[in-house]
Amino acid sequence: MALWTRRNLLRGMARGSAVAVALPFLDLFLDNHGEALASGAPIPTRFGTWFWGCGVNTARWFPTKLGADYDIKEELRPIAQFKDKVSIFSNFNCNLDGKPNLVHWSGVMATLSGTAPTKGGVSGGSSEAPTIDCLIADHIGKTNRFRSLELACTGQSGVSYSMRTGSTVNPSEVDPINLYRRLFGAEFQDPNKADFTPDPRIMLRQSVLSSVKDDRDELMRSLGSADRQRVDQYFTSVRQVEQQLGQLLEKPAPADACVMLKEPGKSQLGPTWDVAMNSHDLLGQLLVMALACNQTRVFNMALSNAGSNLRKAGDPVSFHELTHEEPVDEKLGYQPKATFFIEKSMETFASMLRMMDGVKEGAGSLLDNSLILATSESNFAKIHSVDNLPIMVAGRAGGKWKSGQHISGNGDPSSRVGLTIQQVMGLPVTSWGEGAMLASKPIGEVMA
Amino acid sequence: MTVGGLSRTPSRARRHSLIAAAGLAVSTLTYALAAGAPGEPARAAAEPATAGGLPGFRRLNESQYVRSIQQIFGPTIRVPGRFDPPLREEGLMAIGDSHVTVSPSGFEQYELRAREIAAQVVDDTHRKELVPCTPASPTAFDPACAARFFASYGRQLYRRPLSNRESESLLGLAKAASDQSRDFYAGLELGLSRLLVSPKFLFRIEGSQPAPDYPTATANAMVLDDYSLATRISFLLWDAPPDTELLDAAERGDLRDQAGLVRQVDRLMASPRFQQGVRSFFADMFGFEQFSGLAKDQAIYPKFNSDLAKDAQEQLLRTLVDHLVSRQGDYRDLFTTKKTFLNRNLGALYKVPVPEAGMEGWAPYVFGADEPRAGILTLAGFLMLDPTHEGRSSPTIRGKSVREFLLCQPIPQPPPNVDFAVVQDVHNPQHRTARQRLTIHQENPACAGCHALTDPIGLSMENYDATGDFRTHENGALIDATGTFEGKPYTGLIQLSRLLHDSPAVPACLLQRAYEYGVGRSATGEDKDWLDHTGQAFMRDKYRFPSLLRRIATSSAFRRIAPPAPVGPAKIVASR
Repeated sequence: MALWTRRNLLRGMARGSAVAVALPFLDLFLDNHGEALASGAPIPTRFGTWFWGCGVNTARWFPTKLGADYDIKEELRPIAQFKDKVSIFSNFNCNLDGKPNLVHWSGVMATLSGTAPTKGGVSGGSSEAPTIDCLIADHIGKTNRFRSLELACTGQSGVSYSMRTGSTVNPSEVDPINLYRRLFGAEFQDPNKADFTPDPRIMLRQSVLSSVKDDRDELMRSLGSADRQRVDQYFTSVRQVEQQLGQLLEKPAPADACVMLKEPGKSQLGPTWDVAMNSHDLLGQLLVMALACNQTRVFNMALSNAGSNLRKAGDPVSFHELTHEEPVDEKLGYQPKATFFIEKSMETFASMLRMMDGVKEGAGSLLDNSLILATSESNFAKIHSVDNLPIMVAGRAGGKWKSGQHISGNGDPSSRVGLTIQQVMGLPVTSWGEGAMLASKPIGEVMA
Repeated sequence: MTVGGLSRTPSRARRHSLIAAAGLAVSTLTYALAAGAPGEPARAAAEPATAGGLPGFRRLNESQYVRSIQQIFGPTIRVPGRFDPPLREEGLMAIGDSHVTVSPSGFEQYELRAREIAAQVVDDTHRKELVPCTPASPTAFDPACAARFFASYGRQLYRRPLSNRESESLLGLAKAASDQSRDFYAGLELGLSRLLVSPKFLFRIEGSQPAPDYPTATANAMVLDDYSLATRISFLLWDAPPDTELLDAAERGDLRDQAGLVRQVDRLMASPRFQQGVRSFFADMFGFEQFSGLAKDQAIYPKFNSDLAKDAQEQLLRTLVDHLVSRQGDYRDLFTTKKTFLNRNLGALYKVPVPEAGMEGWAPYVFGADEPRAGILTLAGFLMLDPTHEGRSSPTIRGKSVREFLLCQPIPQPPPNVDFAVVQDVHNPQHRTARQRLTIHQENPACAGCHALTDPIGLSMENYDATGDFRTHENGALIDATGTFEGKPYTGLIQLSRLLHDSPAVPACLLQRAYEYGVGRSATGEDKDWLDHTGQAFMRDKYRFPSLLRRIATSSAFRRIAPPAPVGPAKIVASR
């Protein structure tokens, strides 16, 4: 717990100083009454996505030097201190191959689902295939209480880039209080508590869900194929909740880094950047503890939507609008107002890395035992370009991932990154994606 | 009157092939119907046939869920938790409901919500009123009383009677829970939570049966089964599940007979719940889900806050319901009426004196001849509804709203490679007004096509800022609110509203949306003849909206289901 210091926390809070943060929340992290156990239980590998909207400025973000010890440009400066734990991927593209460039949608779905979508746009859309977090959660998430957690920082639960085939997103938790209650409310089983008594009421709830599953065949018979897919997803959801309940009946394995948290105070939600970054850190701190306490192994964090509505208080135009309307400053060579949000996005990502790296696990940190795929939907949002998408992977997957490199894809589909991650996470896949996004060659340089 | 937007719009290009392929088959069906089926009432026989859609599988939206619970268990039952976000597809949330499913965290919420609702229904406060019998012993399972409880609520929640298998399974669960806790009511509670997490409650699952009124030449013809029809009707008219009386009518087979069907439709329309149904429909058609979380920058629009947004929404809905339902007015007159309702907040926004009654609540109000307000487009509920711009008005979004919401003319998305710099730079002295800035679009052929559809309409609304406040200047320059609509020149929103009032596309769009809202899918080329035909009737009804809903609810098209086959067009062509 050494790194959960008052200084670090205050720094996080000060950044959102325009926001009223209820003071009792600080106590949450200072009230360290659960001693970590040195249990020697195996440490799981976690996977997460971290999304920010409206891309980057190529010349200010991508390193020039390839390989290890890459150079850090202005916009990546916030992650400099984690450079050896973050890999940068350049020249990986969303290859549309005749499909339309659905603005603020194609880029992110191509990277995350391995398939360029055919329906959608700035306000969202459909996915042709499940996103990578669902695939990984199906593989590694079954033994945890939550298959995955979705979080978004601008107060809108529809902001999520996690979905199975179709048009239903896995909605995001946006309010730290609600997230806290879901994670650490009455149903939470402290993994480090000595005694354990299964609650018989849980078994009754399981029997309810088990009986719901009896309806499946009847429904599948009565509906058309498009609806059968929706029924199937409904029952997948039922099964997942049933498994969540199943986890509550088993004595949890001890988790060294798990400490009990107090419920956070009420905080403001919304798309002004300081409020959003504050939400990010509050949600992030709860997420980190959910990971450390083995409540989930998979997460998706979205700083904002892809057509980013982040803005400064009192400013009529949002980040997204700025990317399109703000002239490129001739002296600077970029759009200064829009770039403010790119830099803030990278600071916020660095904040996530700091939180994860601050949790000690075994010989390393929670970050070392994770892989986080961070990406945006555009390269240069002004023109909606989807070539050379900005992609980072943070963490070391418990030693299975060679971190700290800059790798060029030379125009390969961005799904190669996802394929590589899946293989490192232990999924038995040899290729991933469809059409021009099909990837069958993992990125060997990062595989340990 | 023709139905615009159906076959002309680019985003619906996919349907051209369906329309072409279906053309011959539709005429076959029309012929069969015109020949007259025995027992078919004359009016319905004149209806052009439609192909019908597949039976629906539609997720209840949040308000439908809440309304179901409160209609069945009473208004004091609290409905907690978060719902999966809704989806707007092809112009309606009601169509989106046919495309969404339930996410894992959404289901987690349903499970939690089900337990909390069930606990309330059997708690000490509600037990006496809501449990229809007293068990032999409160500490032991009583199968007869439990069966009565589940039969009654199961039928209301599933909107059809429970099958034997379903009730046996419920009784088994309930008995286990009662036995475990030695509490009869714990069994009811668990069983009720089982009903509440069922897809049969959370989705409107439609079933079909052979149509009795189609001759043997089209033996494949299918219609909704009685309970599914009852459900479609009650959600169309009430946006709520059928009450027990409608379920009884379905059970007796009353809805198979045109007179029995009309009797139920008229009963539902005479109910106070009908107003709620009309509100729900227009909230969907006019995109009111965008009010959720709507924000304007307080530094620029100090009058804006979430209360004002709520009031603006309420004003528009009150004006609609008063005009369309209470006064049985002509739908088109909504675009010109000076009659509305005010409260204190809105009086301040419109800068008009609020009648005494409006200081504490809502008061009827008639805008004066010199006030720049006439028709629903001049109300804040329409003017502020733009979640994409928090610090200014967007003529493009407003024009798009008029085209898509009121005229059923979808506007394509902008091409990906566009430089918007000049368009939105408010500091350029050459481009002080939105009109000056948007002129750029007309010089770029990639933009001009769509912006020619949206901007002229939106620009003539620029006398109203992003909250609906009236203004004559923007950034010190006089606003030019001239425009041309359907070839006719005009100045300002009030004159535009007059042209919309006179445009045949406006009532045609209402008809199309009401039909789509009811059947839960987009209208296709196969519906076009029926829509044209019903549009004529709507005109004869003097564009009274309740008459339109009555026609839709009692029509053959409303209950028509496509025969169970792979997909529509191939089957129809093959059967020719």
